[in-house]
Amino acid sequence: MTAPAFDSVVAGALREEAGIRNRRVLKACGWTAFAAGVLYFTATQIGMKPAALVAGLPFMWDFLTRLLPPDLTYFQYLVGATIETVQIAIWGTLLAVLFSVPLALLGARNTTPHILVFHATRMFLNALRSINELVFALIFVSAVGLGPFAGVLAIALHATGMLAKFCAEEAEGVEKGQVEAMQATGASKLQVILFGVIPQVIPAFISYTIYRFDVSIRSATVLGLVGAGGLGFSLIKTMKLFKYHETATCILVIFLLVLVSDWICAKLRARVL
Amino acid sequence: MAAPNVSAVASGMPGADRILRELQSRKTWRVHHLLLAAAAIAFLTWCADAVDLRPREVIYAIPVIGEYFARMWPPKWQFADNLWQPAAETIYIAVWGNVIATLIGLPLGVLAASNVTPSGVVRNGAKAILNLFRSISELIWAIFFVSAVGLGPFPGALALGMNYGGILGRLYAEAIENVDRGPIEAMQATGAGRLQVILFAIFPQALPQFVTYNLYWFEVGVRSATVLGMVGAGGIGFELVTAIRLFEWREVGVVLLLILGMVTVIDFASTYLRSKIY
Amino acid sequence: MDNQPTAPRTALSIRGLSKTYKGGLEALRDVNIEVNEGEFLVILGPSGAGKSTLMRCLNRLVEPTAGAIFHQGREITSPKQNLRDLRRQFGMVFQQFNLVKRVSVLTNVLTGRLAYRSAWRSLFYSFPQADKRIAVECLARVNMEHKAFQRADTLSGGEQQRVAIARALAQQPAVILADEPVASLDPKIARQVLNYLKQISRELGITVLCNLHQVEYTREFAERVVGMSRGTVVFEGVSSQLTDEVLHRIYYRDPGDADREDAE
Ligand SMILES: Nc1ncnc2c1ncn2[C@@H]1O[C@H](COP(=O)(O)OP(=O)(O)OP(=O)(O)O)[C@@H](O)[C@H]1O
Ligand SMILES: [Mg+2]
Repeated sequence: MTAPAFDSVVAGALREEAGIRNRRVLKACGWTAFAAGVLYFTATQIGMKPAALVAGLPFMWDFLTRLLPPDLTYFQYLVGATIETVQIAIWGTLLAVLFSVPLALLGARNTTPHILVFHATRMFLNALRSINELVFALIFVSAVGLGPFAGVLAIALHATGMLAKFCAEEAEGVEKGQVEAMQATGASKLQVILFGVIPQVIPAFISYTIYRFDVSIRSATVLGLVGAGGLGFSLIKTMKLFKYHETATCILVIFLLVLVSDWICAKLRARVL
Repeated sequence: MAAPNVSAVASGMPGADRILRELQSRKTWRVHHLLLAAAAIAFLTWCADAVDLRPREVIYAIPVIGEYFARMWPPKWQFADNLWQPAAETIYIAVWGNVIATLIGLPLGVLAASNVTPSGVVRNGAKAILNLFRSISELIWAIFFVSAVGLGPFPGALALGMNYGGILGRLYAEAIENVDRGPIEAMQATGAGRLQVILFAIFPQALPQFVTYNLYWFEVGVRSATVLGMVGAGGIGFELVTAIRLFEWREVGVVLLLILGMVTVIDFASTYLRSKIY
Repeated sequence: MDNQPTAPRTALSIRGLSKTYKGGLEALRDVNIEVNEGEFLVILGPSGAGKSTLMRCLNRLVEPTAGAIFHQGREITSPKQNLRDLRRQFGMVFQQFNLVKRVSVLTNVLTGRLAYRSAWRSLFYSFPQADKRIAVECLARVNMEHKAFQRADTLSGGEQQRVAIARALAQQPAVILADEPVASLDPKIARQVLNYLKQISRELGITVLCNLHQVEYTREFAERVVGMSRGTVVFEGVSSQLTDEVLHRIYYRDPGDADREDAE
């Protein structure tokens, strides 16, 4: 290539680069302006002002000093509540597993008996997923009274929605060959599901169940705020009585419980997969 | 059908008996299996009893709960007029919660990632803070902030920001640790500094993952934001609690349907956006 | 067993079989094949010739669009045919083995018995003793009984395919359909697997239809060969008749040829 030709190629490339860059920058500016607009608008709507935050800092500090140090003698009164929190999570998750297996099979395209059943199941599961445990807990506390039973049901329903949807999606993603091999032996529809689909889904299902248990522990720590048992009840009770050092103990115990559960669940999941 | 040739398969075969015997011995329940099963059942029964989950209670509860949901029908549609503002507020809280979470999670996540932060002290410190933020539910954070800056959606957004900042920070750190090492080494070989490596070799690789996490946890955040109102931290939760306290079940029905619609739309949008990222 | 070579009985007769997939792709066009009882028939053809489609029509994993298939004189393509009964007479062996990966070898072979048992019993993943005996004996036929309790995904490719053959055998089938059973195996193991199939065909008198795309294996193992190209049968004969001209017809027919042949 001759030198002038080479130069013109380079110049062309640089021009092109500049053009692309300009368009990129313009686009980025547009999006940034849009995002800034949205954030500014929403900030005004919810009264977010840095000034409010700064003004709030002394109050936060004040509150923190009233919380700290935690009253460690109160710990002995929290043992029961801690155990109850775990028990709520265990049964909430266990019930969710029981409910979610059939629901998942009805809600997966390749195992559902009918496409209408599929749509109805998915809709039902979406409803369960959308509604927070605490909302369910509030309703159940009204229906069956204060106590951990309402909490178990609340966690069970929400976790059912989560688990069943996850499991249904896993079932839809199974390796087709294994399913086909089962069909080719002349197995019935149920047998194809039992031998071609379920063995493929089980590890992911177990792993997700453990994850869900971890999340349920976390949720169970706050169910008490609406009277559905567990540590949250001690938390709100001590706060209402202005015994903030005891409240701090509750928060400390919640923190430790979640940490331990997180650690154990991570270990368990690593073993399953 | 039984074609004549088929029966030949089942004619006896040496060695088969040994395997069948082994199968038999594998299948029998050993004592420790039984003990384990018994222990598990005893434990679960104890738990069930402690949380009032007894057959009688359950049988009693099912129709009662059904009745409560039946009371929500038909929804009192005109109540929806009182709900548009709180519903919008719920989403605003989730948006700002997500922004604050990113502002908190990103620096802490970078500090907690082992391939970026060499100092073990800094790393563990960042991890400890992330763990603290993550482990404490957004509702507890909300109680804290409400008592500090007063009732309203602002403390709600702060609360979501703290909790989800802890969650996102840990996920960011993992995403950073999992990036391909090749480009980092190539960048280091050119003599680039630490910050340059982070900006040009690590962030571009981890960014799609970051965006995916943000979108997913925004979805979850919207669901959380629907209950922040229970502790006075703004959003539609306040209307829900009030309606339940006043036994206005048909209003509760409207709130639930609205939450359902809102979450569904946001799920769709977020899933769509996430599918566009890769 | 009347399996005399002089007067072979017809096991399968495929008449005017056509399959057009959704989207208009004609995978099979007027295929006519007679398969003798107990023979080892190789269907040879390049990728996309329609070999798999043909096999899948036989056990109705794919529904043919036209034509009929008769098995021992009964039409199995009729809508009245019970699928479960049909499929358990046809064992299938796949290119990718398609074992249920996470369960034991023995359980995999036992799945060949599913069509004989009620779904309710299967719900507990339990099988009768008689089925277990059949499964172990089928494993022994392919010399895999020593791995009976191992998980299927821990086996090598060749071993997995042998287990898959045992699974097909456990169905006590009249016909085994092997769809490119050796395409993902190395030559030594491939010959071993084909030997097992051939041995089964000879010793148990089971009719074996085997899809292959390699000419050497076909020459080595086939008793009779059907050559396919672009959805039609272009050759039928014994393997010694596989001349270069025939192979050219199977493998290198240029696009125009198909239409010209149709016009004739
Ligand atoms: N489910 C399907 N839907 C649409 N077209 C299909 C389907 N299965 C196969 N085909 C098409 O039908 C034609 C024949 O496919 P088939 O799998 O029967 O060929 P084959 O001879 O087995 O080839 P291979 O050696 O690649 O397995 C191919 O062009 C294929 O793309
Ligand atoms: Mg094929």
